[in-house]
Amino acid sequence: MDRRSASLAACGVALAAAIAVPFVASRAEYALDVLFLVFLYGAMATAWNLLGGFAGQVSFGHAAFLGIGAYTTAIFSQFGISLWIAVPVGALLAGVFSLVIGIPAFRLRGPYFSIATIGIGEATRLIALNWTALTGGASGLTLAAAPPLVVQYFAALALCAVSVALAAWIKISRFGYALSAIRQDPDAAETLGVATTVAKTQALFLSACLLGIAGSIYALHYLFISPDSVFGFGTSIGLVIMPIIGGLGTVTGPLLGAIVYTFIREQLAATLANADLLAFGLLLIAIVVFEPRGILGIIDRLRRGEKPPAEILPSADG
Amino acid sequence: MAEPILACRDLTKRFGGLVAVNHVDLDVEQGEILGLIGPNGAGKSTLFRLIAGIMHPNAGTVTFAGRRITNRSAHDVCVAGVAATHQIVRPFRDMTVLDNVVVGAFFGRRPRPHGRAAAREAAMTALTFCGLAQRAHSDARALNLSGQKRLEIARALATRPEVLLLDEVLAGLNPTETDQTLELVRTIRSHGTTIVMVEHNLRAVRGVCSRIVALVNGSKIAEGSPESVLNDEQVISAYLGTTHA
Repeated sequence: MDRRSASLAACGVALAAAIAVPFVASRAEYALDVLFLVFLYGAMATAWNLLGGFAGQVSFGHAAFLGIGAYTTAIFSQFGISLWIAVPVGALLAGVFSLVIGIPAFRLRGPYFSIATIGIGEATRLIALNWTALTGGASGLTLAAAPPLVVQYFAALALCAVSVALAAWIKISRFGYALSAIRQDPDAAETLGVATTVAKTQALFLSACLLGIAGSIYALHYLFISPDSVFGFGTSIGLVIMPIIGGLGTVTGPLLGAIVYTFIREQLAATLANADLLAFGLLLIAIVVFEPRGILGIIDRLRRGEKPPAEILPSADG
Repeated sequence: MAEPILACRDLTKRFGGLVAVNHVDLDVEQGEILGLIGPNGAGKSTLFRLIAGIMHPNAGTVTFAGRRITNRSAHDVCVAGVAATHQIVRPFRDMTVLDNVVVGAFFGRRPRPHGRAAAREAAMTALTFCGLAQRAHSDARALNLSGQKRLEIARALATRPEVLLLDEVLAGLNPTETDQTLELVRTIRSHGTTIVMVEHNLRAVRGVCSRIVALVNGSKIAEGSPESVLNDEQVISAYLGTTHA
């Protein structure tokens, strides 16, 4: 219990600091911009992790939900419809779409599910590219006006905080037990009464709705979206990379991953085009080889004083 | 005679040209310990999987407590009140022993515990019952085989089953562990749970089962008291082979 109240306190302090930033550093546009991205990506990665980390269903097509949210808000704004309507509708459309694809896709398991999600992600990109009347095709959509950066910042922060809180609650709930059991052994979960397909679909739905909201914020920030930016495969890959960097299936890992991800992109994307992709590739290899549990795994090791992980120790019972 | 709690009628399962379970009728009476024996490949585990909903039959029906459960999914069968253990243990390796059992408590037959505290309490009861209480907070993967087999039983028990299907829970255990597990099986029965066990250990079967069914090549060849079935000519020849000149 000590550790839980300590981590709750840490989260509270971090949240208070994040709320204070715009007031303290109101003229530091760049810093606010980077932090905005950290929270937006943090929310997206946390949402992906509900399905990919908690339930172990690794999706390479989650950009589809981001794109649906982004395009909904962009299209609605062209008709002058309020954001208070556009954003929820975008989230809902992403959620409904997740149900449509989840029902067939969850008939597949493990790697086959992941391969199917690549196809789903690409299919949505191609639809956005070719449905010119609605999406503007390859030339994308431009939004007229955006809320001020401070408002965007708080929107991203709120979405991130809600996502992480939701993940923390799911982790210790009955639903979380179902997802964890599914990740480890779906057949054993079934024989213990877990309706695995239902639970996976619920996780996908939640994840898609959160990404739909993130998509709206994304569109409002950049004021321009195109099939390649929001529906792109690179976006889907980013959603996979962040939780792996931070710690797959953990509550705060995806947010930690988002910090590293945003930092590397900001540092490298501006100086050397595509060098960030090389960096992520190398980072992934290092993580898989040295510490598959990511940053949180490294922290855990340091706390234990470099003792080897428990599974290497011989079992003590006899 | 009272209505059987679990009844299979004409149950058949084919894998391509191989008939693994061939028109099997099986009645399980409330409160008994029924032993299912037969040589390797007789179809015992397949029959279990058909009952538990892990596989679905090509023909025939399974009825539990008067309701058809044929072709229902495995989680439905568990929620209805028939729990199965796996022949090859399948613990959730990254969970603690307690959390493994909490999954069963959270999702098994109704009424289910409300909230995490109640689920943990129910799980702890099942662990205590199975003699694993002291290992509750170990990682499941740290248990030895005997412990993992007990964990399979505890997890299944936590789902509050009316019928418990035990698939070779004695395999790989030493004589002491075997005796402890048989004692556990008797205790579970004495608390009102009906038990069907697939078992290769005939000495154990003789000691604990009230009735035995023998399967060979997917078909039922004998049924009755342990003495009569184990002395049955066909059963003996199935196990030992016939002597021909």
